[in-house]
Amino acid sequence: MSSLLQQLLNGLSLGSAYALIAVGYSLVYSILLFSNFAHGGFLVIGGYICYYSLTKMGLGLLPAALLSLAGAGMSAVLTERIAYRPIRRRGALTLYLLIASMGMSIVIENFWVIAVGGRFRAIPPVIPTSPISVFGTTVSSFDLIVLAVALSLLLGLELFLRRTRWGLAIRASSYDVRTAALMGVDTDRLVAIVFFVAGALASVSGIFLAVRYTLYPQLGFITIKAFVAAVVGGLGSLPGAVLGSYLLGVLEMLVAGFISSQVRDIVVFLLLVVTLLVRPQGLLGRRLEEKV
Amino acid sequence: MWLSILLLSLLAGQACAETVVKIGYLAGLTGDLAAYGQAEVNGAKLAVEEINAKGLIPGVKVELVPYDFRSKPEDAVIAVRKMIEQDKVVAIVGANVSAANIATAPLVNKAGVIQIGTATTNPLVTVDEKGQTRPYSFRMAFIDPYQGKVIAHYLFKKLGVKRAAVLYDVASDYSQGLRQFFTEEFKKLGGEVVADLGFRGGVDVDFRAQLTEIAKANPQAVMLPNIGKDLALAVKQARELGMKDTIFMGGDGYGEFMWEIAGPALEGTYWVTHVAFDDPEIQPLFARYREVFKDEPKEYGNIVLAYDAVMLLAQAMKEAGSTEPAKIKEAMEKGTFKLLHATIKFDEQHNPKDKDAVIILCKDGAGRFHERFRPVD
Repeated sequence: MSSLLQQLLNGLSLGSAYALIAVGYSLVYSILLFSNFAHGGFLVIGGYICYYSLTKMGLGLLPAALLSLAGAGMSAVLTERIAYRPIRRRGALTLYLLIASMGMSIVIENFWVIAVGGRFRAIPPVIPTSPISVFGTTVSSFDLIVLAVALSLLLGLELFLRRTRWGLAIRASSYDVRTAALMGVDTDRLVAIVFFVAGALASVSGIFLAVRYTLYPQLGFITIKAFVAAVVGGLGSLPGAVLGSYLLGVLEMLVAGFISSQVRDIVVFLLLVVTLLVRPQGLLGRRLEEKV
Repeated sequence: MWLSILLLSLLAGQACAETVVKIGYLAGLTGDLAAYGQAEVNGAKLAVEEINAKGLIPGVKVELVPYDFRSKPEDAVIAVRKMIEQDKVVAIVGANVSAANIATAPLVNKAGVIQIGTATTNPLVTVDEKGQTRPYSFRMAFIDPYQGKVIAHYLFKKLGVKRAAVLYDVASDYSQGLRQFFTEEFKKLGGEVVADLGFRGGVDVDFRAQLTEIAKANPQAVMLPNIGKDLALAVKQARELGMKDTIFMGGDGYGEFMWEIAGPALEGTYWVTHVAFDDPEIQPLFARYREVFKDEPKEYGNIVLAYDAVMLLAQAMKEAGSTEPAKIKEAMEKGTFKLLHATIKFDEQHNPKDKDAVIILCKDGAGRFHERFRPVD
């Protein structure tokens, strides 16, 4: 019984990492209606900035983290400016945005391979990982920290969306970008802000993942799972993304522990397929005609 | 008149020319194997430098042609094909993982080009599924049936472990093989394997689900037939889950870079390897490594195996008096080669005969030589 609790806790920790990624992903989708495959790249950028801040610049964890958030956010804005805005301007199909995002994801990954080499790096153990006893099982303090940070950031995001003007603009645009523009929202500014937030959130996840699993240019691949989580929860819905992420994290851990690790990925992608067949808007999403 | 001058200079050029023979190096320079791959290529470079400087092969200069197979067997096949067809190598050293060499074996044997694996330990590297020795495949290391036996005997007899668990990589020939040989031998000795769980190497980085189940079965030791990063993450996560007193032992997948990832979690773990760091014969090589590459020879096993493999080829070429792969191969099968870390004589399966296993114990921040070990039945 305690192993079930243990797996649940493992799942919540993993789900937190997914949630930070999935939320940014869903946010971009809700405005621009395309899946940004380069999202994983922001994660990696955040990880590397943190690594170099800690090692080469000798900064503490908090300044390094803030630098990563800012850096990843800026690179997200830059990606949008370089790759997506020209396409948006021309009013082209969102499919082209998707293709451009695939290209950007390869560019970002290989930029790091060339710049710093494909070897993985270990981030100095700045986040404590000592085991703590909780309800009779042992959990790493790292997991609790991830959970706490993720929930606070998600709460912060929710407050931003509900209480600020730009938050209002974002929510309005998620219904219809063009009408929001007609109402006086500066769309370009809006998109930049959304990308910045998405990039920053992804970089937090990137830091946690890098500390836990080492840092390497292909770390962004985990975004695929976050993508599944976002779709299952409802693409475009932020609470959906969070719900989907925790669900997925727990599911993965339970399957890997009680059945087998090989079956785990099958189950995850089966869940995606079933969702798309049975309830394509996900658990909490709205029905939309075109999903790219 | 100009024609005769041209002719004379050509002839003069020919008289001074030596044969340049190319040796390919198959290394994982990016991906999970990057630490080992880069070390190996450096070791090989030192060997080639020495061969050319001292003229160890009369009338022949060696050129090293390294290729990166990105830690994936599919890319190893592509790299080897290029080496054979474009660079026209006479021999290939590497890789250090069995999956790559098993994948490239049909290719090199068909083309008649020698391939020597460094730390490749799965039997299928030199012997095919029907039990026939592959004519052009060789290796520098002992094989997994032997290695599995070493671990089983060491755990059972030396460390008194009766209940063990295994966490293995389902996607790796090496891991599956080593797990099988360990389990068979451990059960034969009277031990019990209380948990046996898998993960997908190269993809999975989180083993907490499996480790939770393993901890539930309460083993005295966990056997880890995996490589590098997976080992470090597994041990680190296991300690985080509270497995403080469990013994961890694995095979030659250990690398010093694991300390960067796992840190103090590695203290008290045991590993099998091919080369003893404190061996006085090898120290000059390490000194040269530090001088040339301005770096510590961390993956020393890989460096020495790579260096010795290239030296072995050189000695074989000298004995054969030829740079033709067929003749070199014959010389390799017949000869005895005195190398830095061991004297190698190949048996009928192209595996080195009678090699000791070296046991490493992780203590005070590094993997320390613990003892040499040979399982006794």
